[in-house]
Amino acid sequence: MISDLKCSSWAEKYRPKKFEDIKGQDEAIKKIKNFVGDFHLGKLTRGKKKALVFHGPPGTGKTTLAHVVANETRCEIFELNASDLRNKFKMQEILKPAIEQKSLTKKGKIILVDEVDGISGYYDKGGISELLSLIEETKYPIIITANDIWKKILSPLRKKAELVQIKEIPYSAIKDLMIEILRSENKILDSNAVVKITINANGDLRAAINDLQTAADLEDLSETEFSERNKETDIFNALKKIFKNKASEEMLGIFDSVNLSLDEIMLWIEENIPYEYKGEELAKAYNRLSRADIFKGRIYKQQYWRFLVYENILLSYGISASKQNPRQGFTNYKKPTRILKIWLSNQKNFKKKSISQKYAHYVHIGEKRAMSEFPLIRNIIKSNEKIQKELKLTDEEIEYLHGEFSLY
Amino acid sequence: MVSEIWTEKFRPVEFSELVGQEEIVKRVESLVNSLNIPHLLFAGPAGTGKSTLALITVKTLFRENWKENYLELNASDERGINVVREKVKNFARTKSLGKVPFKIIFLDEADALTPEAQQALRRTMENYSNTCRFILSCNYSSKIIDPIQSRCAIFRFKLLEKKDIEKVIKKIVEREKLSVAPTVMEMLYEGSEGDCRRAINILQSTASVSPNITLELLSTMISATMPKDIKIVLDYALSGDFHQAREKLLDIMLKQSISGQEVIKAVQKEIWNLPVEPDIKVKLTEKTGEVEFRIVEGSDPFIQLQALLASFVLAGLGKE
Repeated sequence: MISDLKCSSWAEKYRPKKFEDIKGQDEAIKKIKNFVGDFHLGKLTRGKKKALVFHGPPGTGKTTLAHVVANETRCEIFELNASDLRNKFKMQEILKPAIEQKSLTKKGKIILVDEVDGISGYYDKGGISELLSLIEETKYPIIITANDIWKKILSPLRKKAELVQIKEIPYSAIKDLMIEILRSENKILDSNAVVKITINANGDLRAAINDLQTAADLEDLSETEFSERNKETDIFNALKKIFKNKASEEMLGIFDSVNLSLDEIMLWIEENIPYEYKGEELAKAYNRLSRADIFKGRIYKQQYWRFLVYENILLSYGISASKQNPRQGFTNYKKPTRILKIWLSNQKNFKKKSISQKYAHYVHIGEKRAMSEFPLIRNIIKSNEKIQKELKLTDEEIEYLHGEFSLY
Repeated sequence: MVSEIWTEKFRPVEFSELVGQEEIVKRVESLVNSLNIPHLLFAGPAGTGKSTLALITVKTLFRENWKENYLELNASDERGINVVREKVKNFARTKSLGKVPFKIIFLDEADALTPEAQQALRRTMENYSNTCRFILSCNYSSKIIDPIQSRCAIFRFKLLEKKDIEKVIKKIVEREKLSVAPTVMEMLYEGSEGDCRRAINILQSTASVSPNITLELLSTMISATMPKDIKIVLDYALSGDFHQAREKLLDIMLKQSISGQEVIKAVQKEIWNLPVEPDIKVKLTEKTGEVEFRIVEGSDPFIQLQALLASFVLAGLGKE
């Protein structure tokens, strides 16, 4: 329909209308179709989740997919964006007709809440709770899109909605589509340029189509420089660059595009150094990590944030420059598990903690100190019922003292 | 009620009962006798009598009303300065009972507070200065910000000498009717590292097994309180297996719940038992010292310990 018009943006013009037009998202579509069965024609089944979340990197077709769902189920779509959620009045203004009027031509309605991770944790906490109550009350299915569903602020949403992962579009699919578009537009482009555009897009189809259009519109190709999209690099890519490539100044900004805090990144690096470096390189890298940690300690103690510069340089360029030569090959980077292990161990030892607490207050020392002297303390308390009474230990705590372990 | 926990049962309740720190005791006692004390800062190692002196001060000042007029906080337990402030505020709101015109707040391990938190503490100290006196304790007075130091009378506690700890232990041995082998005292002092609380705890822990304390029994007890299996970690590292060394270390630290500093202490001792050249031993010791320093400065001890393990790997390769 639209393709008959003279549409200026190719990205708009070639937006898919049907499930079968969508490339590389078979799994997601299967899941959606299942769900759609439940709300066909906008009717909701009792007890089922009422919202779908499409999550994935930019330019992979989340919003498009939502429109396709509406099209295929012959529903009308009502779009809200994240900022509307904050404004209750405006939201109702938009939704009122959606909820009250009967559509003349189509039978059902779908509410689309686009880019929900635009809601910031600090300023619009209300936005998320508003969204949750919308899901609670809605008579119509809701589709939500988000780049990163694992943000902390979105955790309540993860429980209320069905998650559908939209993957990065594979290189070959993007390239094929580029060629197809050029053909139907009657444009000719050097095949090297197509490859370059495709690589730079990094799985972002919208970016690829936009670049393609720019390139095709320009006469002289040599002048076009496609800057690499400043796309979110995941931590695996960042690690790969740091550990494999020769240290370069670009690395200084590498963590800006990783969607993790520097503290978390530090744990990833800590975990994975020994999978890449051995011997002298290992020692050098850990020495730099150790230095970075010292700056982190100083930032914390003195609240002097400029030290962050040094922490960042040591963690990126410093770790990278610890090796003698760049290397190739695939390394299976591991997720850091230390924090989890500590947490699990604390869970297991929570009685030790509660006993230490009671003891510490009783004898005027700190809890941490009591914890570190627990072997002695345990021995003293274990064999003396009067002390157990003095400290008002519970039966479970006493049982713990007599538990399986040796002295620990 | 008399406590069955010996560190409490035998805790001195009068100035005259205290061992060691004679100068400090004399000065604090005379301040107490004048019924007016300034803010006090007690600095010194663990188990040298800081909390005990604070308690005696309070009990002497307030007699039977001491509990109503005394608040004890531990800075390393209380989550953040705001909790400390809130508790101080509630406590300081009511007037003191009895003839002493102020109440006393004892803030233990005050050096656990960040400099910012200490600034806030200083404000709190000023705000309640006419109703409350603070006694702060810390291991290192250098970690207390100058403005607080300048508002306090500072007392530096020394590590207890062997004769002091001996005196305490002898009294307990007598009262608890224990029998001790002649050289036990020596070993107990070694094991206590000058920390009186630890000496008493080791004694009670051993006595809970048998009132007849032999050298053997005591030595088993002391080594049971030390981190175990550190040698295994170092052996892995020297043989070049960093992964195993690291995994084992974390396992030990979690299972035995020991801190980074305790690991360092054990590593430093263990270096002497390693099959490496004397020159390497010195270098590894130096490295260990550097890492101990970094643990104090840094934020994550386990990262520092991994850096140490990496130097052991290097030493195992015959480099550095």
